[in-house]
Amino acid sequence: MPEPVLSIKDLTVEFQTEDGVVHAVEGLSYDLFPGETLGVVGESGSGKSVSMLSILGLIPQGRIVRGEASYKGKSLMKMKRSELRKLRGGELSMIFQDPMTSLNPVLTIGFQIDEALAAHNPGISNSESRTRGIGLLALVGVPNPDQRYDQYPHEFSGGMRQRAMIAMAMANNPTVLIADEPTTALDVTIQAQIIEVLKTAQRETHAATILITHDLGLVAELCDRVVVMYAGRAVETGDVHTIFESPRHPYTIGLMESLPVLTVAEDWLRPIPGQPPSLISPPPGCAFHPRCSLSNGRSLCRTSIPELQETGQPEHLSRCHYFQELEGYKSRLAAETAA
Amino acid sequence: MSDVTATPASAAAGSAASPNGEILRIEELVKHFPIRKGLLKRTVGQVHAVDGIDLEVRQGETLGLVGESGCGKSTLARTILKLIEPTSGKIVVNGNDITGLKRRQMREYRRQLQIVFQDPYASLNPRLTVRNIVAEPLKIHGIARGKQEQVRRVDELLQTVGLSPEHANRFPHEFSGGQRQRIGVARALALNPQLLILDEPVSALDVSIRAQVINLLESLQREFGLTYIFVAHDLSIVRHVSDRVAVMYLGKIVEIGTRDDVYQRSTHPYTQALLSAVPIESPYQRGKRKRIVLEGDVPNPANPPSGCRFRTRCWKAQQICAEVEPPLEDRGFGHRSACHFAEVLNPFELTEAAAAQVDVPTVDTDVVSG
Repeated sequence: MPEPVLSIKDLTVEFQTEDGVVHAVEGLSYDLFPGETLGVVGESGSGKSVSMLSILGLIPQGRIVRGEASYKGKSLMKMKRSELRKLRGGELSMIFQDPMTSLNPVLTIGFQIDEALAAHNPGISNSESRTRGIGLLALVGVPNPDQRYDQYPHEFSGGMRQRAMIAMAMANNPTVLIADEPTTALDVTIQAQIIEVLKTAQRETHAATILITHDLGLVAELCDRVVVMYAGRAVETGDVHTIFESPRHPYTIGLMESLPVLTVAEDWLRPIPGQPPSLISPPPGCAFHPRCSLSNGRSLCRTSIPELQETGQPEHLSRCHYFQELEGYKSRLAAETAA
Repeated sequence: MSDVTATPASAAAGSAASPNGEILRIEELVKHFPIRKGLLKRTVGQVHAVDGIDLEVRQGETLGLVGESGCGKSTLARTILKLIEPTSGKIVVNGNDITGLKRRQMREYRRQLQIVFQDPYASLNPRLTVRNIVAEPLKIHGIARGKQEQVRRVDELLQTVGLSPEHANRFPHEFSGGQRQRIGVARALALNPQLLILDEPVSALDVSIRAQVINLLESLQREFGLTYIFVAHDLSIVRHVSDRVAVMYLGKIVEIGTRDDVYQRSTHPYTQALLSAVPIESPYQRGKRKRIVLEGDVPNPANPPSGCRFRTRCWKAQQICAEVEPPLEDRGFGHRSACHFAEVLNPFELTEAAAAQVDVPTVDTDVVSG
């Protein structure tokens, strides 16, 4: 087993609000290995973005209650702010969802790429920075990069802005690339272009990638391993093929059953009943039990929080008391879409 | 549907349905928005949001309207309801031309045509209780006279959409996104409309909630014989709900047909690229099919390309595409598409060999090897 580049252990993050304490992330652990793409899947409020932002020190309002995150064996929590700042945008690089709000509208694209380069390469000359910036824009498929370099974000379309963001994230040869819903704000034909650019970025930098998304299609296409999150906890983790073919958590199964699939003409969808839980006063026991089709009102689900347990398939964990009852279940996504 | 006291006007309108079950027809519908500049607000250009659309909708069907942002699908939906005045063209509801009608005259037709908006956070008045929100159309149209009748009707509507009458006295902020969208649906149903325009009704909702709302819409359609125009950019959802599908690009319909025509036998390159672009929820599909990747962005609708509007991104484009605008031509049984070089292609079966044969620019759907 290789050493993980990024490792999160028992991470717990809270937010203090007027209505009470929001338990955004609860005891989250996972490893990211060199060269792999890890998908972190969940709905809004599942804690998938907050967990990443918090270990990078990017949520001043939130509080890391406990847990540990380390990069190449060095604790990110104990690191000095200046050290962390050196890593962010350097070896640990992020691509955000909305390129409109994450680019500065009053500075040229080139200036912003230069900023990223200069911050991590003290002493880089203006002309060298410009050459590299233009090279990066060319790499991510921005046409006429030497003219585009001097333009402002408003002169770029949504897809072009996201390309520029990816160029910036690649600027300092990251070892870890964190992409937070990188295509959610984009149209589908532009999304297809950006998927290609992301693949280029991975190929060029050999970075390990964390892809945070709610889109199971994106996960199926891009990821090697998957962490499924619900109400701040990882409920299932495993290899992408295992998760899509034989999921062993009722929430993962519910998500896959409820999706209309592009290549299939279904008669009827099977939704997950109920609403996502409040994170201020989550249900006791397993947070998914009020919506669960497997629990059937059994008291264990209401009283005790299940641990992540090995399912017997390699590297596959499920946080369900009764996952064994799902033995033999095959996801419809494995069968139907293959046609 | 028993308690609507139909006024003579609406009864007349309702009875005039065409024999082929057509309840809505639009002809050559155009909506241009002026671009104004300077101190005197001179008009310096036009945004061609909807640019000559013909469409008919039949009783009981769901017509899916798909396209990317800026293609004019929402403008079209709103123009049909005359929430936006059309620049030219004709809107015919149950055989009656409503294009020139004034606000007051439109009221009768608004009863038959209702809309559910995309954002359930912005489309419900935060200062009204749910009861008042759902009762508002009843009050405006003078239906359900008397307090008691109104209470009864609102309770009934809330139950129809899967909420309970106890919810009626709460405010929108007390509800989740999915529940708010149910309130929006209850309000749209209050007047027993024939046709509901659903403008991205689930795209603001969480994945696990979407299926609930879609199932609700489908069961309501069966129960009340509703007709839907379902506007969305999510191609999987549109396939699931639609009987027929129209694909829009830059203010025009480029392809229209039954669901299977469009999803399995599409003939327009844009439809094919659109379908091929969606990542499929199965890792087993990796590498098995090729993806068509279009170059560039959608052109500016204020200055659309000459001839075929898709030609700037199309791999088939030739001289004729810049000169002659392709008409919507029948490819069999009402399946129409607007392309000079139309050819059937199923993008889900686009293997390497198939792609090479038709000369499509593709990429692998494989992952990058570490």
